[in-house]
Amino acid sequence: MSIRTVRIFRYDPEKGGSGHFDAFSLQIENETTTTILDVLLRLQREQDPSLAFRYACRVNMCGSCGMVINGVEGLACKTNVSQLPPGKEITIRPLNHFPVVKDLVVDMEAFFKKFEETLPFFEPKGADAEPAQIRPDSRERLDIGLSTECIACGCCVSSCTMCRHHEGYAGPAALNRAFTLLADSRDALFEPRLERALASCYSCRTEFNCTEVCPKNISGTRAIKYIQRLALKHARSEPKPAPSPREHEAAPPTAARHAPPATAQPAPGACGQAAPEACRHAASAVDRRTFLRQVGVGVIGLGTALVLGGIATGVAVGPTLAKSQKQWAPLGKLSEIPKGEITTLMLRYELKTGPYVQPVAAPVLVSRLGESLVCFKSSCTHLGCIVRWDALSGRFLCACHGGTFDRDGNVVAGPPPRPLDRYAFRLEGDQLFVEVG
Amino acid sequence: MERNVSIECRKPLQWGELDPGRRENTKIGMWAWLWQRISALAIIVFLALHMTLTYKPFVQLLLLLAVAFHATLGLRVILLDFNLVDVKYQRALVWGLAGLGLVVMGIIWFSTY
Repeated sequence: MSIRTVRIFRYDPEKGGSGHFDAFSLQIENETTTTILDVLLRLQREQDPSLAFRYACRVNMCGSCGMVINGVEGLACKTNVSQLPPGKEITIRPLNHFPVVKDLVVDMEAFFKKFEETLPFFEPKGADAEPAQIRPDSRERLDIGLSTECIACGCCVSSCTMCRHHEGYAGPAALNRAFTLLADSRDALFEPRLERALASCYSCRTEFNCTEVCPKNISGTRAIKYIQRLALKHARSEPKPAPSPREHEAAPPTAARHAPPATAQPAPGACGQAAPEACRHAASAVDRRTFLRQVGVGVIGLGTALVLGGIATGVAVGPTLAKSQKQWAPLGKLSEIPKGEITTLMLRYELKTGPYVQPVAAPVLVSRLGESLVCFKSSCTHLGCIVRWDALSGRFLCACHGGTFDRDGNVVAGPPPRPLDRYAFRLEGDQLFVEVG
Repeated sequence: MERNVSIECRKPLQWGELDPGRRENTKIGMWAWLWQRISALAIIVFLALHMTLTYKPFVQLLLLLAVAFHATLGLRVILLDFNLVDVKYQRALVWGLAGLGLVVMGIIWFSTY
């Protein structure tokens, strides 16, 4: 027993406007045995008789009560209250992409028009008195699977964001219908149907929204991808179909090769009633040779892509991995550096790494305190702050963390892990060079 | 059958319009699509930054991340398009490939720096 708040989208065609949500409060005896359709029926009977919604079978068979429940498309009769987050309010709203007639009722004319455009009916290839025998384990039957179970509730079209942006997009439901017939080798309308389905099946962006919401667990994405692959195969085997949509004459030359041995005998198989050479097996049946060829093409393609990608990556990344070259950079004239002092000189040079050239300016601490010359790097060995020479205390001091070095660069105090780094240097006459890189 | 033309329909509702709970219930496939578009834009930005600010490891890391992410999501679509992976594994595919991309990215990153 619980009391749930139900917010329902209301739109009154006589008042117009853009609609609003009405909140109802309903006491529900048992949430697991109460469907959203029960909720709507009770609200209509007990609280607001003007509430409009559509339903017929109440048992997930007719597809009339598709609506958006808590932001997910579903059948009202298939969604139990207990499936929704407990205690929270329930929002019910009409399907997307369809004009709203009243409250939760939408005009699905456009939806069925899209269905019609994909020729959603079976057209036999020839008159046949015998009923077709379809083996349950045949490739075609397995491919089509339960995709024929679509009840045209419109949930998939509502969930698909591409239906909004592509005017001519047939949508997952219509394409799923086309797929079930395209995959059926007994059907005579393969070409015109494929042509129509192709016009829109590339609008799919692989979002899987239709697959996630389908009350019959049909994957619209799978159907659309199947049609795309079918088109690819078909375009390869048959450059341009003969301009006779009704009569589908001899199968493409590849079909004979693809026909599995089972269908070579006339009686069994999905296309038993038609002549075997007329069966379209290029569409669904894949024999070992075709499979191996496809795998071979895939492996070669993948290998080529990997090699090319590797070369491209190597060319792009390689130079940056190379160590920058050592070079001698001029620092100053020895005669200009006073003896018995530590002088800070600015070292300027261009660092070359791979294709890049970067100007560098770094202060160098040149010590002429002792007999020999020492060029200290001015970076503190702790974290690289610039150290300065404090003549008063006779120490190198780092301002960041109190690192202190004596006149020979040895650590006196603070966190630095090692003495100050030194540049290698050489003298050419009066000119002082240090090694950088 | 005659239609009552005097009734005025509300223009169709759109995905997310007056739609409480939609975002929480958006599934991974939709995010995969959306994030691939977003990462494509991010690549443009990071690539421009990378060209102007050479040798900023942080920018390089961001660029590498964006490229790895974009590539894994692209691979997902390719694998599904050519039925190399059954569509029923589409959810696992997003996570699996993202993890793989991260590993490859880590290898590239730590071998470079």
